Amino acid sequence: MRVEESVLPGVGRKFTVTVRSGDRLVIVIHHSGSRELQYYEKGNPDEPAAVLDLTDEEARELGAILAGVLFTPEAIGDTQAKLAQDTIEWIKLGPGAPCVGRTVAELHEQGAHLLAVLREGEALIPNPPPSLSLNVGDTLVLAGPRGAVERLRKQMIG
Amino acid sequence: MHESVTAFAIATLLLGLGAALVHRWHFPPLAAYLLVGLALGEFLDTESLEPLPSLGLLLLMFSVGLEFGPDRLQQMSGRVLRAGGWDALALPIGVLVGLLAGLDWKGALLLAGVMYVSSSAVIVKLILDLRRAANPESEVVLGVLVFEDLLIAILLVLVQGGTGLSFAVVAGLVGLLWLLLHLGGRWLNQQVQHLSDELVLLLGAALVSGTAILFHTVGASEAVAAFICGVLAAGLGLRERFEQLFGSVRDLGVALFFLTVGAEALGLLDAVTVGVVGLALLALLIKLPLNFKGAQMAGLSQKRSGFAAIYLIPRGEFNLILGAMALQQGYPLVGQVAVLLVLVSIPLGSLLMRFAPSWYDGRRK
Repeated sequence: MRVEESVLPGVGRKFTVTVRSGDRLVIVIHHSGSRELQYYEKGNPDEPAAVLDLTDEEARELGAILAGVLFTPEAIGDTQAKLAQDTIEWIKLGPGAPCVGRTVAELHEQGAHLLAVLREGEALIPNPPPSLSLNVGDTLVLAGPRGAVERLRKQMIG
Repeated sequence: MHESVTAFAIATLLLGLGAALVHRWHFPPLAAYLLVGLALGEFLDTESLEPLPSLGLLLLMFSVGLEFGPDRLQQMSGRVLRAGGWDALALPIGVLVGLLAGLDWKGALLLAGVMYVSSSAVIVKLILDLRRAANPESEVVLGVLVFEDLLIAILLVLVQGGTGLSFAVVAGLVGLLWLLLHLGGRWLNQQVQHLSDELVLLLGAALVSGTAILFHTVGASEAVAAFICGVLAAGLGLRERFEQLFGSVRDLGVALFFLTVGAEALGLLDAVTVGVVGLALLALLIKLPLNFKGAQMAGLSQKRSGFAAIYLIPRGEFNLILGAMALQQGYPLVGQVAVLLVLVSIPLGSLLMRFAPSWYDGRRK
């Protein structure tokens, strides 16, 4: 997979994702938070076969689903998705983890992001609010550069 | 109650009606503001709307500086810059046309600027309103606009009135800001992050208007002042924050500014000659093949290159600034061409941009 990033002054940022089959996905993230998606089939780089507009919230939920937050196939095994230099990691809070009982706002690590909290018996909490406090049994989805995610993970489960 | 409130109420109501009307046909509202101004010019005392229109222009230039500052050049790919190079050929051609039309060097430079520069503010708004941001041509068009805005900011400094003092002030300020950003940028950035939104809003407003007054006093262009402030704010990492804080104030001011432009254009256009119309037409026509060629060099297909050339038709803020400067310095011809171009190119450009895809597909069938 090849990802190209470019700046659209006054509009936002554009990501062009070319997948193995040769199909392309163009994603524009607007300053306003909305997303524009265009899908180009291989061999026709000029005319999008489909377009999709998403609100910020829709885009985040879609992203979480794509990242396997709701369902990770067994075949993957390792709960680490490998991106270029970045990583997405799932961690489950056991009893005695230092961050249990603390709020999201208290956990801070430059560069690393808490994408979602998965709580047994509840709907997925994408983009958790700073006031959310963490419980034993929560599964957290972290993303960012490898080192930063590792440091945040250490903060959380010691 | 101050009487300006009455004028404000009438103006905003009519602008709102105009925008609502064109919204039904999925048209961007800027052209409607101009036309409302043209229609109402005789009845509305635009002077009583001040200072909102003037502030609107300053905030607009500030936004252009924020988004289209020189730091963007580094973020652009080489192919986009190639398109900007082709587009810039309109400048020497414009100077030549100006000299042939009997202007002196300064007048010819002003005319070249008027012929060359498209409006990033109008075009960005059109691209957003028409949902074209993800299209391949938009990236090239936006890159070309970065190029244009930078060249025109330099041109504005070169042709401004005033004496050596104004050049010294502009150069001094730019140098100072550069030093500030390179030596203390990180520190300043951290300091500003702790400030509340309200404080940033007020300090930003004071910075923009204060710099504008300083520039105006020494005879330099206040628009360039606002542009430079925008570049500085972007350098401090405040791009998103200012965009959010100034956004709606700016939009209101810009709407009133375009209304005022429409209203004041009436008087100026009374004296329009064939020569003015010819020059305006020439300006519209010259850029089309240059931008088409540039877009092709940037790797776009024939169809997308055509779209890119069409997107770059609208003229706006810089034209009005150059036009005002030309009038001040005694080149009424250039001022008229500038205003006529804005009046014609924004509605025309919106129309062509809106319908280009369906026309193209219709022709193919």
